[in-house]
Amino acid sequence: MTAETRRILLEAAVIVLLGVVLGLSFNGRMLLNVFSGRLPQTQVEAEPRALYPVPVDLAAVRELAAAGAVLVDARAAELYADGHLPGARSFPLGEMDEQLEVFRQAVPTDAVIITYCNGYGCPDSFDQGVRLLEAGWQDVRVFEGGYPEWRDAGLPVEQGAP
Amino acid sequence: MARRRSAGRTGGAVSRFARIAYHLSRLVLGGLFLYAGLVKAGDVTAFARDVANYKILPYSWNYLVAATLPYIEFLAGLLLIANRRVRPAALVTGGLTAVFMLILASVVARGLDIDCGCFRPGGHTTAAQALWRDAGILLLSIVTYRLRGRPAP
Repeated sequence: MTAETRRILLEAAVIVLLGVVLGLSFNGRMLLNVFSGRLPQTQVEAEPRALYPVPVDLAAVRELAAAGAVLVDARAAELYADGHLPGARSFPLGEMDEQLEVFRQAVPTDAVIITYCNGYGCPDSFDQGVRLLEAGWQDVRVFEGGYPEWRDAGLPVEQGAP
Repeated sequence: MARRRSAGRTGGAVSRFARIAYHLSRLVLGGLFLYAGLVKAGDVTAFARDVANYKILPYSWNYLVAATLPYIEFLAGLLLIANRRVRPAALVTGGLTAVFMLILASVVARGLDIDCGCFRPGGHTTAAQALWRDAGILLLSIVTYRLRGRPAP
């Protein structure tokens, strides 16, 4: 290796080293956060949004409702009038397009939402959950046992038109 | 040194052509790396995502690369444009490009469908396209390095 080659290699190494030092000094705080387990802000924003509502059981529904979760009844308004979970909003799946704006006014997108319908045989609450997630709500759960499981557990129900 | 000086005297047309080729490749190469460094240093976290897409490094190391690589590219580009320390700078750009090409080849081999993250974050250059472009950049680095050896370019 000639002296010239050695000089070129050394200077190339200095360029790389200087670049590393510059990069570390400009991004030091961000790197400290990353290596200590805290993600930079834009990474959090880039996280993919949930596509499907999270299933919850009866006990979780009672707990979440007590903590202020919004209960949403996806069944037709007549079934809602016959009996529904205490405090639930009527929001029939078939009328989602018409009622979405009213719903948006009433329920903030960062609220915890629990949808339900007529129990395990009924897909409406799940479908509604998917559409609410698509429409921008971030935390949507589905109570698959629905109204029948709640009623049969002997828990209080409310009656009356929406 | 004596050998080089005599090579410089070999004639007007050839050395003039070499001089133009040298400055052209130096400026194009420098401009490319300056630009690549600047746009990536501007959004380090987005670049880190591009690096993470390659699935080569452990998670946090993607950020280390994203935080430092743009500045190395920037410095090398700056030196090339300024016509200072040209051979070491061309060695850096050539070395980096060779490493990029190896990594891009592994992307093609693994069949990953990702953006190369070469310039602007969120771009749409496939690994195969980037591989061809890098072949050109490697050639520019070699040409710049070789022609710099001539006297008083």
